[in-house]
Amino acid sequence: MFEEKLKEFEPIFYPRSIAVVGASATSIKAGSLWVGDLRSAGFPGIIYPVGSSGGRLGDLEIFPSLRLIPGEVDHVIVAVPRQSVLELLDDCATRNVKVVHFFTAGFSEMDRQQGRRLEEQMVGKARQGNMRIIGPNCIGVYCPEHKIPFLMGILGESGSVGFVSQSGGIATKLATIGIARHINYSKGVSFGNGIDLDASDFLQYLAADPKTRVIGAYLEGTRDGVRLFDTMKEVARAKPLVVWKGGRTEAGAQAALSHTGSLASPAAMWSAMLKQAGAIEVNSLEELTDALLIFQQLGRGQGTRAAIIGGLADGGGGNSVAAGDACMEYGLKVPPLSSETKEGLGKLLGEVGGIFHNPVDVSQAQFRGLPTLFQAIDLVVRDTISDIVFVQEDIEILLPIYSQKGVEEINEFLMELRSRHSKPIVVVLPPGSTEAERLRIEQKLLAASIPVFCSMERAAKAIHRLNRYYSRQEAE
Amino acid sequence: MAKSQNLLTEVESKGLLKKAGIPVVEAKLARSKKEAISVSKEIGFPVVLKISSTDVVHKSDSGGVKLGVANATQVGKAYGEIVSSIKRAYPEAQIEGVSVQTMAPPGVEVIVGMSKDAQFGPVLMFGLGGILVEVLKDVSFRIVPVTERDAGEMIKEIKGYPLLQGYRGQKPASIPALEQLIVKVSQFVEKNPQIKELDLNPIFAYPDRAVAVDARIILE
Repeated sequence: MFEEKLKEFEPIFYPRSIAVVGASATSIKAGSLWVGDLRSAGFPGIIYPVGSSGGRLGDLEIFPSLRLIPGEVDHVIVAVPRQSVLELLDDCATRNVKVVHFFTAGFSEMDRQQGRRLEEQMVGKARQGNMRIIGPNCIGVYCPEHKIPFLMGILGESGSVGFVSQSGGIATKLATIGIARHINYSKGVSFGNGIDLDASDFLQYLAADPKTRVIGAYLEGTRDGVRLFDTMKEVARAKPLVVWKGGRTEAGAQAALSHTGSLASPAAMWSAMLKQAGAIEVNSLEELTDALLIFQQLGRGQGTRAAIIGGLADGGGGNSVAAGDACMEYGLKVPPLSSETKEGLGKLLGEVGGIFHNPVDVSQAQFRGLPTLFQAIDLVVRDTISDIVFVQEDIEILLPIYSQKGVEEINEFLMELRSRHSKPIVVVLPPGSTEAERLRIEQKLLAASIPVFCSMERAAKAIHRLNRYYSRQEAE
Repeated sequence: MAKSQNLLTEVESKGLLKKAGIPVVEAKLARSKKEAISVSKEIGFPVVLKISSTDVVHKSDSGGVKLGVANATQVGKAYGEIVSSIKRAYPEAQIEGVSVQTMAPPGVEVIVGMSKDAQFGPVLMFGLGGILVEVLKDVSFRIVPVTERDAGEMIKEIKGYPLLQGYRGQKPASIPALEQLIVKVSQFVEKNPQIKELDLNPIFAYPDRAVAVDARIILE
């Protein structure tokens, strides 16, 4: 599907050379920043700074014009005022440039009529010159594999999650949250006004891209809803597609003579379209990144039976109840543990004060030492009544009981358990008064491919979305 | 209420729908009291009489509908009452006559409709009839073309879905019949791009079939 996009988009995500127009030797300009970011990221191709004043940027020569560049130019990043964009496109055409990314803003987003007219002229020139345009008004391409960072040098590890975003701000947050939560991207793009290449084009590319296994999208609108719908239908059939549609409170449906017409609000239409296309609709940056994390880490449907270890020390009881509620709310089942497991837990932890039904309270282990705790967790994970195990760790409670060393060992054990069992383990680390320690543990677990969430609700919701996607896939 | 030049009457709307294979309770136009009585006898009692005028948007709110009219005398009386109350509520209205149709047995009331979205084109709506649509807005949408699977999903998506599965001893409504009806409406609006909006409201859903009791088509 969409295989033709792979070759066409190679100069976008894997350019051999990038020219940055709007660089200056003396003043700080966006173009200069871009050159610096590409260099420090270790971009493996050739970088050509371009700026009318000439001079040097570090050890790179600044070419006064695109026409004076000696070698071939695949990809041009433009950070010059909008007055000169048409002339620049002529230069690009003479140099056989394949793709032009306009960071430049001030088009239809600012001035509907004039901006729109200029955009149409730009597209006309691009068609003539056999070039594609990204933007304008956008931060463009993110490709960790080919060392193309976002502006300000943001660059995470290369991975299997692709994203498209209409907004540069959201695109940047996706990249930085990715770095923080080990959501590793294959490619990302912020396409702004999308006058030529838009969400549909990039979604098609990501569907074809062998490096991408799951796709996220932030969209505010579309110029061609029917094409977007048709594209999403095909893309979602091939790969999980998680979509956050921003701007849901736009003006409602216009006056209509039918009931149907009066109820058909734009927000309801977007939701319907996403459902019908088989995409996963989310409603915030938090939900989007939670879903991308779980799809990346687990990668397939997991079944709906959850075993919950509500806490590893004091306070496990109430947390267990709340965790059970959160799971049920999002369509997960919390079946009782097998009688063998319950018996085993009774022997390990003592019959008094232990709640071994499911959710499980293993807090009694704190009086019997870590090996007992580990055996108890192992028993729960091994019980075949569950498809997935949630472990809630409250670091601020564990620290005074087990000390830092003990907490360390507990998490080493969880990582070892993860490698030993095929059953997924999801860890919930609620924020509290020992944030530094909590974050350190979160990083370790995420690096070991254990999904970590701040709350049971968020974990359960993300798993629910994963399961729903794959059960719909199976029904196809 | 604004007059709409492009509003088809119930009789016209149902005629088009019937041709497209969408089950409707057929309605016949009677232009006089006498005609209303003879059409009623032909159809068989009890009948339903409704005002036929493209200037009247809310028929039942203005006394334009009489249900379960049992014999010829009552038809004559109902005709007079309908025409005079419409003349009071809509003094400017052009009255074509009344539509006469058989009184359908009660079923679960649902609505299927179509409107056009600026970005996605024609969309279908499904919901339960009456206050569930009007007050709670318990409806689902899908973009045309709607497949049988889409139709099934849009039926199950509404909160009132259990009402279709039978409650308090009521027999469940036929979901396949509703799915087929939705798919047929999707094909109908796809073939007729001149239709701007459409309401089949209510549709009566029965254990073995579903039939549109009232219909309204608005052209571009």
